[in-house]
Amino acid sequence: MSDRPHDTRHGSATGAGKLLARAVATEARAARNLKLAVDDFFLPEAVRLGERLRSELALMVEKLTGGIEMGIREGARRLLAARGEASLAATLDRIDGAVHRRLTESGLLRDAELMAELIARVRQEALAAALPMHAPDDPEQPSLLNRFAQHPDRMLANGAVALLMAESRRRGTGGSGQAGDLPAELQHRLTWWVAAAIRETAAVSAADGAAVDRVLSESALRNLAAYDEGDRLEDAALRFAAALDAPPEELAALLIEALGDGRVVLFIAVLAHGLGVSFSAARDLVLDPAGEGLWVALRALDLPRGAVAQIGYALCEADARRDLDQFAERLDEIMALDPIEAGRAMATLKLHPDYRAAILALASSGNMT
Amino acid sequence: MRAAESLPVTAIGRLDTAGRLLDAEMRLADLNERAGGRIGAPLAIPQIAALARLAQRLGIAISRNVVAADGEDDIELWVRAEPETGSVRLEVSGWQARPGWRGPANDPDRNGDFLRSAADWLWETDASLRITFISDDAGTRYGFDVATMLGQPITRLFSLEQDGSGNLPILNAVAAQARFQGQEAELRGTGRGVRLEAAPRNDPAGRFAGFVGAAYMLEGDDVALPEPDAPLPTPGPFGGFPDSFSQRLDRALREPLGRIIANADSISAQTEGPLKPDYAEYAGDIASAGRHLLGLVEDLVDLQAIERPDFTIAPEPLDLADVARRAAGLLTVRAQQSDVRVDKPALDERLPVTGEFRRALQVLVNLIGNAVRYSPAGGMVWIRLEREDGFGHVIVADQGKGIAPEDQTRIFDKFTRVDPAEPGGSGLGLYIARRLARAMGGDLTVDSAPGMGARFVFTLPLRLEAFGDDE
Repeated sequence: MSDRPHDTRHGSATGAGKLLARAVATEARAARNLKLAVDDFFLPEAVRLGERLRSELALMVEKLTGGIEMGIREGARRLLAARGEASLAATLDRIDGAVHRRLTESGLLRDAELMAELIARVRQEALAAALPMHAPDDPEQPSLLNRFAQHPDRMLANGAVALLMAESRRRGTGGSGQAGDLPAELQHRLTWWVAAAIRETAAVSAADGAAVDRVLSESALRNLAAYDEGDRLEDAALRFAAALDAPPEELAALLIEALGDGRVVLFIAVLAHGLGVSFSAARDLVLDPAGEGLWVALRALDLPRGAVAQIGYALCEADARRDLDQFAERLDEIMALDPIEAGRAMATLKLHPDYRAAILALASSGNMT
Repeated sequence: MRAAESLPVTAIGRLDTAGRLLDAEMRLADLNERAGGRIGAPLAIPQIAALARLAQRLGIAISRNVVAADGEDDIELWVRAEPETGSVRLEVSGWQARPGWRGPANDPDRNGDFLRSAADWLWETDASLRITFISDDAGTRYGFDVATMLGQPITRLFSLEQDGSGNLPILNAVAAQARFQGQEAELRGTGRGVRLEAAPRNDPAGRFAGFVGAAYMLEGDDVALPEPDAPLPTPGPFGGFPDSFSQRLDRALREPLGRIIANADSISAQTEGPLKPDYAEYAGDIASAGRHLLGLVEDLVDLQAIERPDFTIAPEPLDLADVARRAAGLLTVRAQQSDVRVDKPALDERLPVTGEFRRALQVLVNLIGNAVRYSPAGGMVWIRLEREDGFGHVIVADQGKGIAPEDQTRIFDKFTRVDPAEPGGSGLGLYIARRLARAMGGDLTVDSAPGMGARFVFTLPLRLEAFGDDE
């Protein structure tokens, strides 16, 4: 557009060379950016994370790495002080966002298992927030977990309170809460990544490197030792579901009430326990908007039509990706499914997860020869 | 509201499997008739008919909040549809007239989010007022054991105190299924005072399902006094949204909303060609709803800015008379549309003060805009200038229905609207205006009586050096 003549008299030859190189780089970057934008645009709407979920996910990653980072730095600083190397403590001062940035740029956070866990968690939370509440017919009647918190059976009462606690912790404003509460393997992986990123972003002289390495790794180990997978919300829910061990005829009411109270994690845990599958397998069933797997699972538990309808209705109301009309359309077809046959279809979910992953990997890799 | 007041709250009706109305109690039957239906014909209220069909297909009872047209009005209904053998039973309650456009301030969930944004810690209960959630760090911070409180009645955690008139605000709120604030209590066993606020949660059938609440500590290290004059508590993540989300709120919403409004306006003005009049009118509705949303986005962005601990204004010398004239000028069109006259300061009047121009303008546009909105047709809004005790005053007075003394402090709270039935507004305007006035070293006050109109006084510090050449 511009037709203003440019004054180029002061441009030196080396300057021009650099400029040209930069222009070429710009072109390459533009092409890359375009490719990313195009990829993003063509993502099917059903798969793409919405803005809100993306934002929640970004925040969760930041909080997770930030919490672990704080724990490691504090521990390392204490170790330095105890060993009379307090002069090194300043090298461990946090540089705002540096560790998180480094981990993101490195691509380490793209780890499939970590992302699967975190994305499932934001979806699970979004579902819980969007579920229609259900008020009891008798206003004096406490909600499901609150009733069990008063149960004479101490196992059940403790289990219910532990679950309430774990949920409060998960939703809490952070602060003193345990940083992480990921499955153990992921917690270990992430902790070491963070420790390594702290090392890389710290301004340490070569002479002090060994000392800093020592306290960082020791602090990471101590943080991992203090971590208890059993405190996780998902594990508390599974333990409670196991303690309840609801007989088949009570399962429907239990599942419906858990949903009505917005306790998605409990719903998933009861489902997992009933089916005899892992929490993550049951969670995948519940969070999949296509929902076929879940209907089969509910049939495998031999849930009556009313219960399947109520669960399907609540999930459709809470998740815009689910189609209520289509669900109503298919309800008869779902109910026509024989529970024993449905149970057989669920059998693969009970296999060892690594075995299932291997089967999937083999199937998707096709034939290379 | 009309003779309807004396009718029973819930009207029962039955549809056959083909959706034809078998029988209905008077209120439902009347509504159906006004919509052009009759007994024996398909139900003429499409939203309820759809719900009944769905309940029948799924074979379960379904409850939903439905807005149905009733002549010129919209009414808000709670509908429960339950399939029976050969028919579907309907229970319809609510029957609230609903303004054409409602601000989201009436939405309890969102209300809850905002209510909690500045709290020291949060709590939730179920319908039986037993605790279902407590912020995890509250226990260690204030000396109680969270584990022994979860699942327990709320009175186990708080020893509730009566207010000035001997009531427990929380119990009144349960009865009315309303929001409450200012419930004082002692955190049992800790000797610490706490002030509670909460919004109710309802299920889709409109029944009370518990409270979403906030707690403000009244003393100790974590002081967060609720008085508007006190330094305000440092807000947590804004409105329950992650920070990154609210940072993008403005950018993400302003542009698409602007486009919606512009296109709806041009449809409404039929610039591209003639259109059926009711469609043009719908487009006008879309534009006005869009403007409402845009106003809300602006309010929220402002709210977020002024609630940040590092919020400052850039004081500059300004002429409050000039600002008032400009604000009045901006509202001329709206005033003319509502047939309200605005009596603005004369062109030669001057009132030199210190403040930030755009913020002062924002406050005055808000005040004059309110005055115009609440003025009866043919009414008048006065803008007067005064100087007193080192402050310049702008007085905005209207002939509206006025504000009752008990509401006069409340209107400066977040999300308060004196008349929730009044359309428009986020309930943030006066809250923001007062915060801005105070940030500039001035204030915003009101005096009014019901029936006498409202008088808002906006003050800013007089610019002393200006006195010499001014008077």
